[in-house]
Amino acid sequence: MSDLPLSGQPPQRDDARPVPFRGGGFKPVRVRYLGAAVIVALILLVEWGTRTGVISNLTLPRPSDVLGTFHDLWVTGMLWEHLIPSVTRLAVGSALGVSTGIAVGVMIGLFSLARAGLVPLVAAIFPIPKIALLPLFVIWFGIDEGSKYALIALGTFTPTVVSTYGAVDNVDRTLIRMGQSFGLGWWSIVRKIVLPGALPGILSGLRIGLSIGIILLVAAEMLGARHGIGAYILEAGSLYDLERLFAGVVILSALGVLTSGVIGWAERRLLSWRI
Amino acid sequence: MDLHLDRISHRYGRVEVLSDISLTIPQGRIVCIVGPSGCGKSTLLRMIGGLERPDQGAVLQQGEVPGDCLNPLTFVFQDFALLPWRTVAGNVALVLEDHALPRAQRERIVADVLARTKLTDFRDALPKQLSGGMKQRVAIARALAVNPAVMLMDEPLSALDAQTRELLMDDLVALWTRAPFTAVYVTHNLAEAVRLGHRIVVLSRRPGRIREVVSIDTPLAERRAGDPALEAHQARLWQLMRDEAEAADMELSHV
Amino acid sequence: MSTFSRRGAIGLLGGAAALPMLGRPALANTKLNIGALNFTSHAASFIAFERGYFAEEGFDVEFKFFQAAQPMAVAIASGDADYAVTAISGGLISLAEKGAVKVIGGSLSEEKGVDGQKILASDAAYQAGLTSAAMLDGKKFGITQAGSSFHYMGAKIAAAEGATMEFVPLQKVGSVIGALKTGQIDAWTIVPHIAKPLAAGPEVHIIGDVADYLPDYQVTTIFTSASNASGERAKTEAVLRALSKGADDFNAALIDKTTSEAEMEEMVKLIHKYVNADQPYDKARGSIVNGAMRLNAGAALNTTSVKDQLDWFIAEGLVKDSITMEMLVDPSFVQTM
Ligand SMILES: Nc1ncnc2c1ncn2[C@@H]1O[C@H](COP(=O)(O)OP(=O)(O)OP(=O)(O)O)[C@@H](O)[C@H]1O
Ligand SMILES: [Mg+2]
Repeated sequence: MSDLPLSGQPPQRDDARPVPFRGGGFKPVRVRYLGAAVIVALILLVEWGTRTGVISNLTLPRPSDVLGTFHDLWVTGMLWEHLIPSVTRLAVGSALGVSTGIAVGVMIGLFSLARAGLVPLVAAIFPIPKIALLPLFVIWFGIDEGSKYALIALGTFTPTVVSTYGAVDNVDRTLIRMGQSFGLGWWSIVRKIVLPGALPGILSGLRIGLSIGIILLVAAEMLGARHGIGAYILEAGSLYDLERLFAGVVILSALGVLTSGVIGWAERRLLSWRI
Repeated sequence: MDLHLDRISHRYGRVEVLSDISLTIPQGRIVCIVGPSGCGKSTLLRMIGGLERPDQGAVLQQGEVPGDCLNPLTFVFQDFALLPWRTVAGNVALVLEDHALPRAQRERIVADVLARTKLTDFRDALPKQLSGGMKQRVAIARALAVNPAVMLMDEPLSALDAQTRELLMDDLVALWTRAPFTAVYVTHNLAEAVRLGHRIVVLSRRPGRIREVVSIDTPLAERRAGDPALEAHQARLWQLMRDEAEAADMELSHV
Repeated sequence: MSTFSRRGAIGLLGGAAALPMLGRPALANTKLNIGALNFTSHAASFIAFERGYFAEEGFDVEFKFFQAAQPMAVAIASGDADYAVTAISGGLISLAEKGAVKVIGGSLSEEKGVDGQKILASDAAYQAGLTSAAMLDGKKFGITQAGSSFHYMGAKIAAAEGATMEFVPLQKVGSVIGALKTGQIDAWTIVPHIAKPLAAGPEVHIIGDVADYLPDYQVTTIFTSASNASGERAKTEAVLRALSKGADDFNAALIDKTTSEAEMEEMVKLIHKYVNADQPYDKARGSIVNGAMRLNAGAALNTTSVKDQLDWFIAEGLVKDSITMEMLVDPSFVQTM
């Protein structure tokens, strides 16, 4: 090859061919609207199947009937009757769970004593199916809102603790050394270096925590709730009313998408400093 | 304020890292420390800065700390250690916030050090928007903001490319010429050492002992790349370093 | 839904009992899944199995056990169970409306003179004055789920007393018992074999009888899939025959008490295999004997009561108002009242 010119015209030899390209794939490309299209296609398929009878009315409800159920919920105002208690339970319960979770997680991250004392406890609580504790919670906190708040709070607490102390552990130590070397006070270091540094981890823990909160909403409304999306779904299930069942499930999904969107928005706002 | 290192020795577990180091860092001078990798330079610097305690010996301060000095012993880190969520001005302000200063004075200090490091136009930029050289200038600005008695710099330029390093060295020389500061400057780069150091301390391989202390009398502002006197110093330092590095290398390969 | 087979141990007994068969079974070795709860009210199925009445008809029966009535209806619709006995619930009616299940006979019913389902009050509510069903206004009444038989009973009692109650859904009988014992709810109704042992403790009191409000209440019915009802006539009749024999044995031993003491004891032992099996026999015996309610002879069905229940479900908006008795009940198999 040394006799080829280093620059200028491409070589005049006739066996010259392009280097084969091997670098494709493995790179997610953003494809817009495909997700929505898949969902719409699936809904249309079910609509067609239930209309023609290919799908029996025992198997799936007709999507247009589910839509009708939504309409009824809206017109009668029952949507809010169910949505407001559920959202309140989710908000109060997860606010309790998340705030104590962050506080305990930061303590574990900062104090060896708290770490030694609490990590095994958290590890022991984490895998307990919280639903199993519901009857106990009813006795402790009463059958009304107390037990529902407690269930959701406990469900969101554990993932928040674990992700918070993980995030605190992962805060860049050189930043903390820097703070100490400039003589910053302990509280300043926690407030200005540890907490902001742990925020990305805390927020992604929040995503998991809130999803678990929504899952537990149905469980929380098993005992003694007459209103709420979870109670609505349970009632529809026991009455074998598939339209209402699906309407309720769709509302839960929407709630999930919404909280995920809110966290995504918070991440964009609060973590814009990330590369 | 002068600093005296008095017979400092230190070990990590069974590994002896520093052995019997005695050294004076006079006010207004830059003392460079060079030595093979792993000989304990960073450890020594952390001890000077009070982030670590030596097993034996002590680091002593002598003389008055200037009245307006907010943090006598101030580090400049190799990896900058900037808070990514704060702007340039915010990073500088961070180290002033714990001191009871009037707001106006705080702002004046920030504006002043940013001007001295030529960062005024970038005061609202986030670290992710800055080049490596600019990040290190922010870190230097932050160190200057507390008006340190001694600056402790651990390979401050080694994360930067050669051109940026040259420019920053010029900046440091300019800063020192305007207002001479005291500094301990750890580096691997002998060109940096002969360019910035009034004294150059050569440490032996681990356990680090003082092999030799070289003094260079040429004023900082007059030192130029290619100056034969500096070249001679650099060659001599290289000879010393080379022996140690080779020996260290042999040792490692026998482990 | 808990599904477990007792054929391992008990099937041998059943098989042995079935050996001296008279006549030839019309349906040799047909596999049959029967849905049941571990309640005395399901005794007819257990007796028919244990005493070989199913085997005589040529059935190889396996029980599928459930925690609540409503999932049984779903199991029939999905084909996981072939026949089942349970209370009429909103779920059952909805599935009948979808053409999946049919009520074909009666099982447990309230009867004046026979101790039936009880109205219970928690101790806290009792001490605060809830000593009879007339005081139920403004109280919290426990139910498993909206549209369950508990919901129906509570609503009927409330209507009769002019009371307005809050119905608290708790999903499972166990949870309702827990809530009643701890005073989280004020009142509940339940079959006597559960009510009486509960009231024996200090936490719960009996304050009335359901029969006073719903005299001929058809508590549970026998039902199957719509295809079994219309297409498998011989098989369905055979199942009803076996269940009727079981019911006759039960009524003779525990309601009409026309059998000898020893035979009654044997009957209780048989039922104890399925009901309160976790308790020692001596303890379980009392509640089985005291809790017995009449099972309809010949699986006769009280359609008047069923109609009343259906009307209530429609009126409450729990099921579609388009559903009719014809969709729910196939009256061609048994005598109706
Ligand atoms: N916290 C620590 N615990 C145990 N050993 C340590 C610790 N810090 C440093 N060492 C060891 O002490 C020795 C000296 O480390 P130090 O970082 O001071 O060397 P250095 O001269 O700065 O090296 P380099 O030129 O590579 O930066 C090394 O062998 C290192 O592994
Ligand atoms: Mg180092």
